[in-house]
Amino acid sequence: MLLRIALAIVDVMPLSVAEGFARFLADIYCELNVKRRQVAIDNIKRSGIAEDDDETRRIARDSFRHFAVLIIESIKSDRFFDKENWRDKVEMDIPEETMELLKKPGQGILLVSGHLGNWEVAAQLLSYLKPVMAITRDMNNPYSNNLILKRKSRERLTLTPKHSADGGRFLNVLRNGEVLALLNDQYARDRGMKVDFFGSPAETHTAVAMLHFITKAPICFGYCVRTGSMSFKFKATKPMVFKPTGDRNADTRAVLESLNRELEAAIREYPEQYLWAHRRWK
Amino acid sequence: MNKEEIIEKLKEAMKGSSEVQVDWDSVSEESTIESLGFDSLSILDLIYDVQQLFDVEFEAEAMVGVSTVGSLVDFLQGKLQS
Repeated sequence: MLLRIALAIVDVMPLSVAEGFARFLADIYCELNVKRRQVAIDNIKRSGIAEDDDETRRIARDSFRHFAVLIIESIKSDRFFDKENWRDKVEMDIPEETMELLKKPGQGILLVSGHLGNWEVAAQLLSYLKPVMAITRDMNNPYSNNLILKRKSRERLTLTPKHSADGGRFLNVLRNGEVLALLNDQYARDRGMKVDFFGSPAETHTAVAMLHFITKAPICFGYCVRTGSMSFKFKATKPMVFKPTGDRNADTRAVLESLNRELEAAIREYPEQYLWAHRRWK
Repeated sequence: MNKEEIIEKLKEAMKGSSEVQVDWDSVSEESTIESLGFDSLSILDLIYDVQQLFDVEFEAEAMVGVSTVGSLVDFLQGKLQS
């Protein structure tokens, strides 16, 4: 009920007010939730991207603010973007080869990203080019989870909770020429492979590599960064294709290392837009 | 390649990707893929291994629906003969 009310309030608030309010709440959250703030600070220090403690704290605070505004943007993005106008509002930095794949009917694509920029808006924008299935993390409250899933699902955007991950369904998505979008910087527990992320091993999901080798669907690393109020730049790499050698572990590692390198480079460019407060290294 | 040869090769592939303890000598055509430690995600590892080991390409989603070792053997035999 509370979530429903909160969503209704955000819906009617002007964007600038909602963003300002979100930043204010983020500052309070950052002050009060010492544990979560410390996770962000520890992660930033571990990554080695900040020059000193002041910069570390600034990046941590800005990251909390970024995430708060991301929620507002995700709630309101439907009112700002549609399949007719989005190209006028979003700066595209996508190589021609990748754009051709996105426009090619029947071409499945693995779009890999991280908790960087606004991944929810990215999936929405991408769905104007090609149908997208995005794998999401569940919310703790099942009622809230259903409400959010229902609200965010769109005509050409399907959301699949991580707990319902199904290899067969993913294969079908790629075979049908759609985009399978994954955030590959989630802690993989016992289902992953330890791959360096900013020089420290992090459990990384391997499904993207397997799907690539099995289906031959190219991998693109992409993300959508905020450049202003409800203003974004969509960046993507050229399509990546890896040849299987028969050594599953080595092949998987090659893919994941490459993707982690792309993500690291993107984070170095936009450190304030990365979700540092999630436990990437456990 | 006959059925027995496929089963032996398949066991080899499964040993490499299963993450549970399995008595591989007792694996028969009736054994379910699930009982050998494969779920809807780890089946992807097995598909990769099967594609590499048997050097066959196939629409992998067809293999996801296969539930027993016997039906997987039949599936592969069909692909190898085609």
